[in-house]
Amino acid sequence: MHATAQVVDFPDTAVREAAEEASAVGAAAGGDRRAFERLYRSHVGRVTRLCLRLTGHRETAEDCVQDTFVSAWRALSNFQSRSTFSTWLYRIAVNAVLARRRGLAHSFEVTVDTDAGELDRRVTTDTPAIDLEAAIAGLPDGARHVLVLVGLYGFSHEEAGRELGIAVGTSKAQLHRARRLLSTRLGLSEEAP
Amino acid sequence: MISDNTSPDSLDARLAALPAEAAPSRDLWPGILGAISAAPRPAARPMSRWPFALAAGVGVAFVAGIAGWIGGRSQVPTVATVAPAATAAEALRQASFALPAGSEYLATRVELERVYHERLELMAPATRVRIEADLRTIRTANEDIRRALATDPQSPVLNRLLESIWQQEFNLYTTVARSSDPAAQRART
Repeated sequence: MHATAQVVDFPDTAVREAAEEASAVGAAAGGDRRAFERLYRSHVGRVTRLCLRLTGHRETAEDCVQDTFVSAWRALSNFQSRSTFSTWLYRIAVNAVLARRRGLAHSFEVTVDTDAGELDRRVTTDTPAIDLEAAIAGLPDGARHVLVLVGLYGFSHEEAGRELGIAVGTSKAQLHRARRLLSTRLGLSEEAP
Repeated sequence: MISDNTSPDSLDARLAALPAEAAPSRDLWPGILGAISAAPRPAARPMSRWPFALAAGVGVAFVAGIAGWIGGRSQVPTVATVAPAATAAEALRQASFALPAGSEYLATRVELERVYHERLELMAPATRVRIEADLRTIRTANEDIRRALATDPQSPVLNRLLESIWQQEFNLYTTVARSSDPAAQRART
């Protein structure tokens, strides 16, 4: 006769996914392009969304996504598994966006961008989300970049400052500015100081 | 996070509800494949003294982990069907993570696996199946990485991944032991 004890919150899928990803990263680092394609397929959606939010322009964002994965392939041998693969990819994506920005200065002067709106309509029919995405796309570059990294992707101000080449204080100020602008544009009550 | 304003209509709530993914308008993989096939990969940075740090780190992790919960073994109820304690030879044969380490590490490892099997037997069958599937996945990943290491033994990324996989296996063992510890069960309820 068995005495059984139930496991509470056993992290089965997280363990499996982490192991499978580690396996794919290892194989890709060893030169396996199919393994790298698996990594691409599982991460391209999130990287695309990040690049779209940072650039506010779909065509540029997709160029940045392509740059991101090419750079990731070349840098895989230096990947530090102390961070997650997705976090590492996000950093490469930010660098890809900033590199393109330096080369294509005018491409990033967006207002409320219709490309972002079109893409959102394909992803979701949630109108408030579309409004918010459009409002984010319409933010000035500096405010938008900090909002996306800190507010949406969990970077600390120190990390965002390092990636964007700005001071921590500037990052905080830009986040406050972004939130104030978004609140105004969305008709929300003003942010507390 | 960016503020503590959590009402459903707040800016934070709206930001949190935004979709996390967006599909590209076309498949970007062919272009990526062309680019990575055209250019050679730069050489990896050399590895520095990593195997020694790993061996020491994993050894410490096992010892510390066991120290935290091995005392709970006395609280495990005696059951009619319990996995037979693995002999040292069997445990070493099963261990896909053999490290060049001393007898203290090996003894710790054997004890860790023995408790794991004992606690696993206390679990509901469906849970046990899931856990065993997870362990197989971890060991498959370990084999994949070892195969890659055979052709590139100095690769820092492969060695770090191997370390990460070792850690995952250890976490799995620890989770099983803690989750089925009757004392831990009582504390949760």
